Amino acid sequence: MDRRDFLAIGTVMAAGSVMATGLPALSNTLSEEKETTASSKNKWGMVIDISKCSPDCTACVKACGKENNVPHFEEPELDIHWIRKISFKQKGVEGAETLSMPAMCYHCEHPPCAHVCPVAATFVRKDGIVLVDKHRCIGCRYCMIACPYKARSFVSRHVEHQPGDNPDVPRRMHGVVEKCTLCVHRIDRGEEPACVEACKKEGGGMKFGNFGDPNSEVSAILKTSRAKQIRPDLGTNPRIFYLGI
Amino acid sequence: MDIKFQKIEGRSKGYYQLLVVTGLMAALAPLSAIYLFVNGHHVTNMTNQVPWGMPIVMAVYLIGASAGSMVLSAMSSVFGKTEYKPFARMAALLAILLIVAALMAIIMDWGRPDRILVPFFHFQPRSMFSLNAILYNSYMLLGFVYLWALFNDKVHLTRILGLAAIFIAVGVHSGTGAIFGFVYVRELYNSPMLAPSFIAAALSSGTALMIIILVYTFRATGRYLDDRLIHGLAKLMGVFILIVFYFIFIENVTRAYAPKNYEAASFLLLHGGKYTFYFWGGLIMMGLVIPAALVFSPGTGTSIKWILTASWFQLVGVLFERYIIVIPAQIMPLEFFPDKEINSVFLDGQYAHYSVSLVEAAYSIGLIGVVLFGYALAIKLWAMVPTEAHHLEPLEELKEEEEEKFAELEEIEGGEPAS
Repeated sequence: MDRRDFLAIGTVMAAGSVMATGLPALSNTLSEEKETTASSKNKWGMVIDISKCSPDCTACVKACGKENNVPHFEEPELDIHWIRKISFKQKGVEGAETLSMPAMCYHCEHPPCAHVCPVAATFVRKDGIVLVDKHRCIGCRYCMIACPYKARSFVSRHVEHQPGDNPDVPRRMHGVVEKCTLCVHRIDRGEEPACVEACKKEGGGMKFGNFGDPNSEVSAILKTSRAKQIRPDLGTNPRIFYLGI
Repeated sequence: MDIKFQKIEGRSKGYYQLLVVTGLMAALAPLSAIYLFVNGHHVTNMTNQVPWGMPIVMAVYLIGASAGSMVLSAMSSVFGKTEYKPFARMAALLAILLIVAALMAIIMDWGRPDRILVPFFHFQPRSMFSLNAILYNSYMLLGFVYLWALFNDKVHLTRILGLAAIFIAVGVHSGTGAIFGFVYVRELYNSPMLAPSFIAAALSSGTALMIIILVYTFRATGRYLDDRLIHGLAKLMGVFILIVFYFIFIENVTRAYAPKNYEAASFLLLHGGKYTFYFWGGLIMMGLVIPAALVFSPGTGTSIKWILTASWFQLVGVLFERYIIVIPAQIMPLEFFPDKEINSVFLDGQYAHYSVSLVEAAYSIGLIGVVLFGYALAIKLWAMVPTEAHHLEPLEELKEEEEEKFAELEEIEGGEPAS
């Protein structure tokens, strides 16, 4: 092969790769939206009253792990967290009270994770739930860089199937990013997320509901103007609100 | 003046040693990538706290050097700096090799490199990664066509492609800077300065790399290289370094001015441990102050030995710069409540830890090996290196000789009256 051939082949290959990036992108934007059973009239979310949240209670975390087969590696830096308990207190004040709250994916209206995902593996369902297509995610982890809430975890180890696994939620492969789905499989069955169900048996601070319905319980709480989002200044507009912060 | 390009002979013991060493280095890249894919990312020091590590640092570093080389290659055709024409092919070759290595760095760092085709079929116009995929690929394509045009002496085409390459190189760099600059939630990323400062550091490190490659290639092949060409490149590198310095200065004082950024700014500049050391010692001293001082001082600025030293300092300094851009922003905890102290089992509110793991180091060395091995092989297979590289103006001694001859001629002819 002389240099002309080499350069010609190189040119053709590079041209092909550019066209391959460009053309499907065009067809992708032209193609119809994915069909889902979700309705855009619904906007699912939560209001969490942290005055009912005990620092020692991890019922929501345990229920989530069981429902969603969240693996546990016993390594704090690599562990996967769909929901976690955060404790906090006022900075620079001696003797400040420590409060506790659950933190998870906030299913933002403007999710930075979905904006940065190069392959649109993270997407917003019509009913506002932010999901990751595990079969499309390439594992670049840009979403983890962009998420303000540390809601995402990368599966850095192989995950073995366990006998007690919930068959409704697939075990995932390593090398992709995952996060809270708001228990989308339960919502589609007309049930509440597992964390909310577990919380009811404890403090009952978590309330799940439909912000798309102005008469729902969660919408009524918003009308009191007392509910707060985390980092509202970022403009992401999370659909999970807190009372008592 | 006609420039002749000739393949290097490549039969010496030294050449074969070079091939073996760089080949072994290059082999580390696929080996560590396979190791990473088979085992999962837990074998690296990248975690859920610091998702991006050394492979991303290497990717942006190599992309930078690539764009810098491409601009240098296009200088003769686009800006009329014809004295650099002898280097056009070598610089274009390096630009291609560097972008290929950068793409390798990115893809093999994915959790799922087996899904290499997915980005070709799914596009997200708001994602800088998605846009960059188009930019990087068009840049690589253009590099090939441009090199082809150089080989076939297509003067007009070279000029057009060279100009296009400069535009795309600027796009590639603004795009790479924007990967980080657009991340509005992390104080140490979010900055419009990142795009232009990326371009400036690309030009300075690209020039440094060219100087090193040129001097060693011409030396090893025993071909003539006019020192003044290297002096010129060194001055150019010096100017680029000053521009980098300016951008870094503006970025940091703007950040440090706002009280909400006090913690982030002081982490990077004052109490960030090794990151602060990398900033002041690696970037500022090694990358900027020392090389700028060396190339602008009259004594050292015309000494090839010192220019080489300056180039090595700059090349390593920019690696520190890329490291400082990518890593510390992830070390800083995310602010859930800016006015509260927070804590959790997921290490919320705590500074994260990162150091380069063995597999990441092997991977990085492998990527450099790919570039060097590719270069060493290509200059034997194709006529990339000129037989000699002269400056357009003759050397001073030659000038004097010519003037003397001219004076002699005038005397012989009886001296014409001055007009």
